[in-house]
Amino acid sequence: MAFLELEDISKQFGRTTAVNHINLAVERGEFLTLLGPSGCGKTTILRMIAGFEVPSSGTIFLDGEDITDRAASKRPMGMVFQSYALFPHMTAEQNIAFGMSIQRKPREVIQRRCAELLDLVGLSERGRSYPHQLSGGQQQRIALARALAVEPKVLLLDEPLSALDAKVRVSLREEIRRIQQQLKMTAIYVTHDQEEALAISDRIAVMAQGRIEQLDQPEQVYSNPRTVFAARFVGTSNQFRGVLTSATEGLCQGENWFLHVLPGVNLPEGTAVLVLVRPEAVMLHRSPEADQESSNHARNRLEGVIELRTFLGPFTRFHVRVDERTTLTADIPSQQARDYFVAQRVHVTFPPDACQVLPLDEQEVSLVKQVENEAV
Amino acid sequence: MAQTASNTLGSRPIARPAAQRTRRRGGLDMVILVLVMLYLLVPLGATLAFGLSSGSGFDLSALQRTFSDPDFSQTLLTSLELALGATLLAILLVTPTAYWVHLRLPRARPLLEFLSLVPFAMPAIVLGVGLLQEYSGTSGPLITILSLGLVPVLSNGLNIIDTPPLLVCAYVIIALPFVYRPIDNSLRAINTTVLTEAAYSLGSGWWRAFLTVILPNIWPGVLSAALLTFSTVMGEFTMASLFNIYTFPIFLNATGQNDAHQAADLAVLSFLFTLICVLSILLLVRGRRGRDGQIDIAGTR
Repeated sequence: MAFLELEDISKQFGRTTAVNHINLAVERGEFLTLLGPSGCGKTTILRMIAGFEVPSSGTIFLDGEDITDRAASKRPMGMVFQSYALFPHMTAEQNIAFGMSIQRKPREVIQRRCAELLDLVGLSERGRSYPHQLSGGQQQRIALARALAVEPKVLLLDEPLSALDAKVRVSLREEIRRIQQQLKMTAIYVTHDQEEALAISDRIAVMAQGRIEQLDQPEQVYSNPRTVFAARFVGTSNQFRGVLTSATEGLCQGENWFLHVLPGVNLPEGTAVLVLVRPEAVMLHRSPEADQESSNHARNRLEGVIELRTFLGPFTRFHVRVDERTTLTADIPSQQARDYFVAQRVHVTFPPDACQVLPLDEQEVSLVKQVENEAV
Repeated sequence: MAQTASNTLGSRPIARPAAQRTRRRGGLDMVILVLVMLYLLVPLGATLAFGLSSGSGFDLSALQRTFSDPDFSQTLLTSLELALGATLLAILLVTPTAYWVHLRLPRARPLLEFLSLVPFAMPAIVLGVGLLQEYSGTSGPLITILSLGLVPVLSNGLNIIDTPPLLVCAYVIIALPFVYRPIDNSLRAINTTVLTEAAYSLGSGWWRAFLTVILPNIWPGVLSAALLTFSTVMGEFTMASLFNIYTFPIFLNATGQNDAHQAADLAVLSFLFTLICVLSILLLVRGRRGRDGQIDIAGTR
């Protein structure tokens, strides 16, 4: 049995199902991220683990013990909140000491531990400051120290970085990861930010509408998404709707194109499929000859006109219109992107091994549409 | 500060009109302030002047008569006891209730808000007569059931009618709007639910979370509720008169019927007494803040 296990957990609020028969196992010392759009049930799962919500059905085990009905204050969990939730009338030190004084630890121990934790989060000098005297990032560090002070078995983080600005967000997420690895702490992290999830996690659970769509390592979630939703939610991708015409040769057919994919697709021929290509796998060429020189392999070739060029620092993003309905997105390293301009006619290529073939389940498509509409 | 900066830059022509505007606005502020002060203080001063004079001139005899009257100190003490009792009971009842509703029954908040406003709509005399009737031992079975048998026990067994404890309870009802509103507002102003959950996650139970995390943060609201209740009860006349309890306002009224100069003295004294009580509570709290302030400075150093 895993360190923390959720067995067939569901949660209803009135008629709405927030969490729908979830099974989840988290190993000791693992950093697991629940990733999904708002309303997908990720925060509800975290709140059920913390004990703030009672599951409608199912069981939660921690270290082999059933804790489903245990009060929040009796669970060995530390929680970090989106809004920091520091006690405004207490100094940073008093905030950190709060949980330890409830545990009736001797005063010297509390003082020593406060100093250690302040040092761990890099705020040794600010122990006597009140929360309103600290910046958002500093407050969240204190909140992290406060959660760690009670020596929890599991650290729960509920979108801890979403109230911070971009730069602090990146540095603090690295720090959270460093501290988690240093203490070998089991952590469950909730976020809607896919970049954050990819950067920080051992494993990611991509969620939609109360279910886990995919539970995998970050690399797998990104390069090998198993559902259309996971593919759409994590990263950007070009999509082609078509039919698998030959699984052995790796051929898919759309309205007016053929795509080469890797041979040996594990789907029956004739299946409606969605072919996904990440924009960084797409290349641009000014002439077909240049394209042929650069590669000898079978490649997918399309022709189009550049509609939009967006400079994004290390790479430049191009939107290329290939026909009336289809626009492709290509991310080209900025150094090579100097040769391409808006309204220029270009040849677009991408290798078969960059094509991810997913069965096009209509239910899945409607789910994606629904979630995307809600997000708008 | 802007003025100093522009002076050093040598841009006086720009700085001057701004300064004048500020001064003119300051002048208007002062006029309004003085008018309001006059409106509030002239009647008080006139009352005091009237109390310290007889027909011919300055005369302290009315004041001496007041202080030598044994009823003066006795009624003042009674009113003080009633005010403290009502304040304590109201705060002890309403603060945890408002917190509990905020946390567990947020949907019931509009109902509670409405209930807290009912005493405003009900004249004190109706409340007084109603309470006297129900607690006189003649209440019907409906009241017995609704009060879970408490009313007959209190009225027959403990003979609570016309006693200060029942009057204190009545005052709590009257004070409900003053007590509930500021406390509820304070609870809304802080992130009550999340702070409570943070306390829970650190191993705290409900009561500890309430006393050590929530209460210190809604303290200003609790304090203003206490001050409003206290001063309302100190000057309450109708209910005390119906309950036949000899409080300070009743003493003041009775005196005024015989000796207008003495009544004027009493009015000023009552004002001063309430003011001193209110100020001392405020100072007590500011003293606490001051200490925190020192810690602040030490922290930033």
